[in-house]
Amino acid sequence: MIIQIEPLSDIPIYTQITNQMIEGIARGYMKPGDSLPSVRTFAADLGVNMHTVNKSYHELEKKGIISIIPKSGAIINSPDKTEMHIKRITEEFKPVIAEALVLGWEKEQIQELVMSIMIDLKKE
Amino acid sequence: MDIILFLVIMIFLVATEMAIPFLAKRTTVFGVSIPDEYCKDATLVSYKKRYSLLVFIVGALAISLYIGWILTGNPLNETQVLVGLAIQFGILIICTALYFYFHAKTLQQKSRMKWGENEKRVKVMDLSVRSQDSMLPWYIYLLPIVVTLGVIVYTILNYSMLPEQIPVHWGPNGEPDAFTPKTYVSAISLPLVMLVIQCMFLGINETTKRSGIKLSATRPEASRIRQLTLRKYTSWFLFLVSILMTMLFSYLQLRMVHPDLGGNALSISMPFLFLIVILVSTIFYAIKVGRAGENMNLEQEPGIVDIDEDQYWIGGIFYFNKNDPSIFVEKRFGIGWTINFANPLGYLMIFGPLLLILLITILT
Repeated sequence: MIIQIEPLSDIPIYTQITNQMIEGIARGYMKPGDSLPSVRTFAADLGVNMHTVNKSYHELEKKGIISIIPKSGAIINSPDKTEMHIKRITEEFKPVIAEALVLGWEKEQIQELVMSIMIDLKKE
Repeated sequence: MDIILFLVIMIFLVATEMAIPFLAKRTTVFGVSIPDEYCKDATLVSYKKRYSLLVFIVGALAISLYIGWILTGNPLNETQVLVGLAIQFGILIICTALYFYFHAKTLQQKSRMKWGENEKRVKVMDLSVRSQDSMLPWYIYLLPIVVTLGVIVYTILNYSMLPEQIPVHWGPNGEPDAFTPKTYVSAISLPLVMLVIQCMFLGINETTKRSGIKLSATRPEASRIRQLTLRKYTSWFLFLVSILMTMLFSYLQLRMVHPDLGGNALSISMPFLFLIVILVSTIFYAIKVGRAGENMNLEQEPGIVDIDEDQYWIGGIFYFNKNDPSIFVEKRFGIGWTINFANPLGYLMIFGPLLLILLITILT
């Protein structure tokens, strides 16, 4: 799976890495149980600071997407539908939907957008 | 014998210098990163050709003058060797000067044409590439180390059979020409030096393995093949050198205990064979790596270019990047590796063994 970042973008590199990993898992490029490279290897291959990769791994761990096992690396978790994550996702969705409504989007437009993103992620 | 050896090395030197612009990573022309779609630019290609032609002229001139001087002037053997060495250094210095000239020209051309300035600049990596890495495992390098330890033990067991004067330097004909009084340290100084070098090779192999596999966003497939080929053949080449050196040094050491070992023919031909095998495998290595991935079709994704890392490459030669944990990175001009000068471990890898060897030499 290819990770592509834009070092000159306004989005911090660790956020770009986190987003790319999540997208890769959503697209099925990586599956639960797959292990991730060590922080050092990841940073060396991408040519970025180890702290950046470490930050991204910890962010992914906090979101419940990977587990970091000391001394042996990181592994992708099975889907986790606990209350905590549902609440977090809802809270992250809310401001974006609110923003779209403020900008005058219709309910159908928002639903259509969500569907088209879903289709894009789920296609081969 | 010396002169033939020198001529072979000189011709080899000129030929490699001539080939470098064409075997170096194609997206770095004279140490300047060039977006993939422009690396076939006519001006850049003409720079490469001019560099090779100039190197050829300088080299041919130097070598023919050297031969002419030896044939007509009939100089002393020592003077021949000294002048031969001076010519080799001279060729290297002229090549470096030419490199800097074309490096500056390429930089000018790049900024004049504004290459890649309006495209999205990205960096990529492949999460699955590590499983395809086929560098030799570290324990293979233990084999020559075990042999060396054996030679050391054997020397100490046969200490009484050693001559009173221990050879410390050998001429090109394989015969010792400098000696030091016999002590336990001086008796095993040669295998000790060998041991340090073998451990250094093991260390280089391991740190190379831990260094990044750098891919290009515009040609991920081709760059992956090149990086994996470079890594694989580097570790094979290191291992070959380690084995050859072990054979040569062990032979010299054992001949100290048993002066008749192998006879004269072997002692004369061994250093020569050693050199030939190293030269041939260097050519093989350079061509294998230099051509790797080159016949791939362009896989250009529109609108993106690899991020320009020129700011980390001083003069296009010295890599200095504090963020990159890699110790070794692929050279921009040439085939092989250079160290990340921002990483103190890199200095330790190179200068640590040198200091140890110096220490052993001083102790004897």
